[in-house]
Amino acid sequence: MAEINPEYLDLDAAMSDRDMDQSPVSLLERIKQEGRVWGDLCEQYGVKNPDPPWRVTLEATCDMLAENDCRTPDADEAAQTAKVEKETKVLDGIERRWEEDHLVKEHYAHVPFPENQLLALAHTLIRRGLMDENELARKMKEVDQRLNMT
Amino acid sequence: MTDEHKPHAPAPMVDEVSEFEVLEIAVRELAIEKGLFTAEDHQRWTEYMHTLGPLPAARLVAKAWLDPEYKKLAVTDGVKASLEVGIDWVNSMPTKFGTPSDYCNLRVLEDTPTLHHVVVCTLCSCYPRPILGQSPEWYRTPNYRRRLVRWPRQVLAEFGLQLPEEVEVRVEDSNQKSRFIVLPVRPEGTEGWTEDQLAEIVTRDCLIGVALPRPGKTANDPRPVRPALKPYHH
Repeated sequence: MAEINPEYLDLDAAMSDRDMDQSPVSLLERIKQEGRVWGDLCEQYGVKNPDPPWRVTLEATCDMLAENDCRTPDADEAAQTAKVEKETKVLDGIERRWEEDHLVKEHYAHVPFPENQLLALAHTLIRRGLMDENELARKMKEVDQRLNMT
Repeated sequence: MTDEHKPHAPAPMVDEVSEFEVLEIAVRELAIEKGLFTAEDHQRWTEYMHTLGPLPAARLVAKAWLDPEYKKLAVTDGVKASLEVGIDWVNSMPTKFGTPSDYCNLRVLEDTPTLHHVVVCTLCSCYPRPILGQSPEWYRTPNYRRRLVRWPRQVLAEFGLQLPEEVEVRVEDSNQKSRFIVLPVRPEGTEGWTEDQLAEIVTRDCLIGVALPRPGKTANDPRPVRPALKPYHH
């Protein structure tokens, strides 16, 4: 019988000892309750694509947050101009995945993938202080008005 | 007007904006505003990700089935063999030097009639994205990741793959340094097939090792996603 990956044990111990607030985020709770998931939209509109169009952009966001090395060499100058964090990982990929596992189990167990991945990412960013819940709510309102402009 | 010139009915589309779509855009734009990454880098990375899928890996396997020399190359140097199916693990990426998320070390695991490989990432969900595209949902779940290493035959059976006792099952755990794909045994009934025909039956699930290729089977089965009932630390 194989054993659990020792790297996971180390990570689990390190993360469990961390004092991360895993309480619910009201904005995300509301989206969890009221948001329409891709599967339901597909059924209503007769769409066959198994993944929402935003799945790849979400993956890209996770990658960009995890690894500064995703940055293109010729974008270095632009990154400097934009004052992008250069030397540190904003959100380590393995830690994000660990938190995703826990947050999905705790808060988003009944939300399908990739909606649960998105909620967990937003939850992590808020609880780590990388984003503020109120500013995310404001941003959502702005995006919603833009997308629904006729 | 011939049939081929008749206008097609428009493909159905989702005609509403969901809260989840709004949330995804808001998170991304806020991260850009905060300088966590640039819009340009995100755009380039997204465009690159849109090019990825399982076809190159399927073609690698089909070529290996047809060409013994290429098969030797595939099992000894997966990265070099990938070049022949259009995947450059180093230079294809926008970074031009790979990324820590997709380390430039692909290993091709050759099955035999008495040895079957299956791939997992117990730590998170490492996956050979450059040659296999995005990982399926079930591959990411703690249930698959934790149970496969303990009860591989049972988990494979749940996927519909019943292996005889005399076949050894070897689980390969992906990590930050290596990615894996499975090179299954070429199935009977494919004699005389072209590379294109063979590639069609090498599905994503065959490349992970939870299914075996067979003539007529060209799509993955829907997979149930189960919660981890007894995570080991509880």
